[in-house]
Amino acid sequence: MTGQEIVFALLGAVAVGSGIMVVTTRQLVHAALWLVLSFGALAGMYLVLTAEFVAWVQVLIYVGAIVVLLLFGIMLTRAPIGTAPDLDSGNRWIAAAVAVATAALLVTVVVMGFGDAKMPLEAGGGSAEALGSAVFRTWVLPFEVLSVLLLSALVGAIVLSRTDIGGARSRGKGD
Amino acid sequence: MSPLAAAPAADPTLQDFGKDPWWLIGGKVLVIFVFLVLTVLISMWVERRVIGRMQLRVGPNRHGPFGLLQGLADGVKLALKEDIVPRQVDKVVFVLAPILSAVPAFISFIIIPFGPNVSVFGHQTALQGTDLPVAVLLVLAMSSIGVYGIVLAGWSSMSPYSLLGGLRSSAQVISYEIAMGLSFVAVFLFAGSMSTSDIVAAQHDTWFAVLLFPSFVVYVITMMGESNRIPFDLPEGEGELVGGFHTEYSSLKFAMFFLAEYINLATLSALATTLFLGGWRAPAPISTVWAGANSGWWPVLWFMVKLWLFIFFFIWLRGSLPRVRYDQLMKLGWKILMPFSLGWILLVAAIRAFKNEGYDMQQITIVTVVVAAAILGGTILWEMLRGGEGEEGAAAEAGAAPADPFAGGFPVPPLDAPHYHGRTAGTGARAATIGTRSEEVTRGTH
Amino acid sequence: MTSHVSAALAPGGDIPAPHIEYGQIMPILLVLGVAVAGVLVEAFVGRTWRYTVQVPLAFLGLAGGFAWTIVLGLRDETHAVAAEGALGVDGPTLFLQGTILILALVSLLLIADRGTGSFAAQAAALPGSEAEQRTTAAGIIQTEVFPLLMFAVGGMLIFPASNDLLTMFVGLEVMSLPLYLLCGLARRRRLLSQEAAVKYFLLGSFSSAFFLYGIALLYGYAGSVKLGDIAAEAGRDAGSETLLLGGIALLALGLLFKLGAVPFHMWKPDVYQGAPTPITALMASCTLVSAFGAMLRVFFVAFENLTWEWRPAMWGVSIITMIAGAVIAITQTDIKRMLAYSSIAHAGFLLTGVIATSREGLSSTLFYLAAYGFTTVGAFAVVTTVRDAGGEAGHLSRWAGLGKRSPLIAGVFAFFLLAFAGIPLTSGFTGKFAVFKAAVEADATPLVVVGVISSAIAAFFYVRVIVVMFFSEPEADGPTVVVSPATAAAVVLGLAATVVLGVLPQPVLDLAGHAATQMFVR
Repeated sequence: MTGQEIVFALLGAVAVGSGIMVVTTRQLVHAALWLVLSFGALAGMYLVLTAEFVAWVQVLIYVGAIVVLLLFGIMLTRAPIGTAPDLDSGNRWIAAAVAVATAALLVTVVVMGFGDAKMPLEAGGGSAEALGSAVFRTWVLPFEVLSVLLLSALVGAIVLSRTDIGGARSRGKGD
Repeated sequence: MSPLAAAPAADPTLQDFGKDPWWLIGGKVLVIFVFLVLTVLISMWVERRVIGRMQLRVGPNRHGPFGLLQGLADGVKLALKEDIVPRQVDKVVFVLAPILSAVPAFISFIIIPFGPNVSVFGHQTALQGTDLPVAVLLVLAMSSIGVYGIVLAGWSSMSPYSLLGGLRSSAQVISYEIAMGLSFVAVFLFAGSMSTSDIVAAQHDTWFAVLLFPSFVVYVITMMGESNRIPFDLPEGEGELVGGFHTEYSSLKFAMFFLAEYINLATLSALATTLFLGGWRAPAPISTVWAGANSGWWPVLWFMVKLWLFIFFFIWLRGSLPRVRYDQLMKLGWKILMPFSLGWILLVAAIRAFKNEGYDMQQITIVTVVVAAAILGGTILWEMLRGGEGEEGAAAEAGAAPADPFAGGFPVPPLDAPHYHGRTAGTGARAATIGTRSEEVTRGTH
Repeated sequence: MTSHVSAALAPGGDIPAPHIEYGQIMPILLVLGVAVAGVLVEAFVGRTWRYTVQVPLAFLGLAGGFAWTIVLGLRDETHAVAAEGALGVDGPTLFLQGTILILALVSLLLIADRGTGSFAAQAAALPGSEAEQRTTAAGIIQTEVFPLLMFAVGGMLIFPASNDLLTMFVGLEVMSLPLYLLCGLARRRRLLSQEAAVKYFLLGSFSSAFFLYGIALLYGYAGSVKLGDIAAEAGRDAGSETLLLGGIALLALGLLFKLGAVPFHMWKPDVYQGAPTPITALMASCTLVSAFGAMLRVFFVAFENLTWEWRPAMWGVSIITMIAGAVIAITQTDIKRMLAYSSIAHAGFLLTGVIATSREGLSSTLFYLAAYGFTTVGAFAVVTTVRDAGGEAGHLSRWAGLGKRSPLIAGVFAFFLLAFAGIPLTSGFTGKFAVFKAAVEADATPLVVVGVISSAIAAFFYVRVIVVMFFSEPEADGPTVVVSPATAAAVVLGLAATVVLGVLPQPVLDLAGHAATQMFVR
């Protein structure tokens, strides 16, 4: 085992372990923090795989924005300090069984599919240049269509949440 | 400077990193750490002295020469204070929060270039902790991790002041981070890289502050938002929220927040210097008359001068600007800075694309100016027409329900009269004024 | 000053610009462009003018896209992949895109109809709240419906055209997301509508997850997400069988969900019932066409060498879909739910065409999709016209005696039902005949037998509705029939297509056959 592989395995263990903590902890905010750790470990794995750009974007977007927004939502609605008994569900054994089964399926499939096949890591294989040329050449159409998807989601969010349409007085349009 | 002899080496690029021996790496990290701690101590002193001057006071001048040791004394005092942990708080998170706030602040500085390649004990190395192909993203990522410190501090303190301060602060930092990221894009486009050493190298002719002035302006505004300082210090607006997210913190934990704030100040200033003001490169008159200004250890001096000018600028703002209202702050971030940045990026990208296609720069400039003027003129015309409509509507509304000046048989001023302090209306008028004001504010925060 | 620096810094040099065949993918670009323009209209045009601007804009976009598709179809060029291999522009794609666009145009007639007012005035208002009443009284219309519709149609155009699984997934999401939203915007029975939207969203994202999982496994198998590469890898019989089979299964699951094939049909009755009826019409026609298009492309291109692997499973799915759809429909008492189960049964019939995996199977499925799409849009258009105080009269008992009250509408609806049942001289007969013929030729006779039996079962409940309409006494406070011009136009178009495709099907059959001659590009 090379040092790289050891680090990769350790990060994987951290990611899985904190993932388990996310669903087992009884404290809502702690669950979010475990999720941060899991995402962080994933970013570390990307780094080990020389995908620097993806790694930092992972930190920036998932750790820095998405989980913060999650925390935000939790805090604005309810965020009890201490354990919350209603975080537990009677379906936990079924859920655990499904999760284990899915994981087993995936692991089996991946092991059977790839076995111990190895791919050499190239320096710069995951750099911004490589990523940019993939996104803006081969995958340019799906990439641009994704922006359309985001736009439609944005419009939908406004439709579903804006309550000041036709209020008592119509204010400035830009308001 | 005998072991640290300057060597006229080429400017460092990305390829030069990752070759240092272990003792040099350790040394660099240590130097950066010490530098940051010293910067914090000195900038606290500078801030108090400068603001004192601006307010025609003296400022701290008792400890050491010119009161220079005041920061140290304050630090010792903070460390020796009683460390209070409120009962019922989530202790793990309560302790974790200041750490999460301070550690990322230190990490960011590792990619800031202080100078070109120099020789240290015979080793050619760049005056920079390290560099990555995506170094600037690292700074953004670290500042986004720093947000956790604030959010968690606010939440775990079990105090409404803290919670509100934490929420405000994280919303603010996230919003301004987006605009800040957008202001970097033009720099990346022109430098062709996200690594700080390459960006400095790309500015050997013209600073990006000149070439990309709008980006620079946006960055300076967002960096004030990021740093949670006046005029954007809503998270700890002491008039409203006592101390904001760190209300419940004391002793060393509070010191950590304090440290993080001042290090962030230094980091943001250093980043501004690196991205827009040519980094360690000597300013124009010096570099034209003196060729050696950009080699050896001299650049550290230019870098420090630029860094401290920025810190001084921050302090100057604190001395002169009032605090903005929270909804104004968010409106500025989302409705002005972001659309403006996006439009500017579009323009820059279009110009770059035309240039790559081999069009004449002069022609492009003329066309761009004409188009921009047309859009601006059109917008102004549109706004004027629309504004006219709005006023008409308002006038019609006002006409529809004229205030009855003798309601109830007494001369009554209209309820919404601004700045009315007469006695006749009594409590009613005052209540109404308060009512409208609170309505404005609640509307704004949404 | 910067040029030489960037040249020196970028090791790979400049990224060359991608080559996009704008002409070939113009229908998609046009529809999505109109959607974006619609968003701008929402932002900059005053509230009073929005409706009057949005509707012509949407019409022009769809009609322009349709015209462009026809032009593309008329040019006799060799078909090719476009946009760096992301889209395949070929005969079946053009036929499907044309069908989707024309059906969307007919649905737009229903959606744009202000008289029936199917959409909520303010989606964010709580059902039954004062705000809702106020906005409803003010006559406000949520005009965001039009850009959302155009986004959905854009996704529907991409979904069957995508030449790789990644584009297909993006197309799927662009199609689904606006539909989830539109489902929750019904003006009447808001809670039912919102429940439908949430249900559709949750189950839809679940199926998307399966789809994505399948893509991942297939990528692991073939090392590429391009359909052609997967087929080539499968043809070489290399790689791991497990990955391949798992991928096929999960991918098929995601696609079958969108079709509403049993056992992935749970969402269909609830969503069809809760959604605003014009949106139901859109989903029942365009979404089905689009999803079948994608299904055809995946199974005809990527899995063409693997028919022995997937055929038995698809046989099973097809059989239970036909039978379950027909049998459960008998117990339904709500018109829209009944039509939903009918749509499930039709998905089963259509699957027999996919299973044939022959040129005839392809062309007959294409024809069936067009014929069924028109009939179903017409049927849902009729549903919007039968109204009482609470909006549309959904319950079957309310339709009693409609034949006496409004013989014309009842007659038209009866004709649509007969077309669903597959009575000769309607388009339903031609379509079913074509599909079953192709299935028999591909040695799937048992399937055809099951299909005929379930057609007979289905005919029972179609006839039951006709009996209720014509041979029972009308209720005293029965529903009234309100027909506005736009809805009438939609009904007439659906009726005309059903008649023409039933009596004179040859031109369209030829067209579908011509479209299928070159099969799919890759």
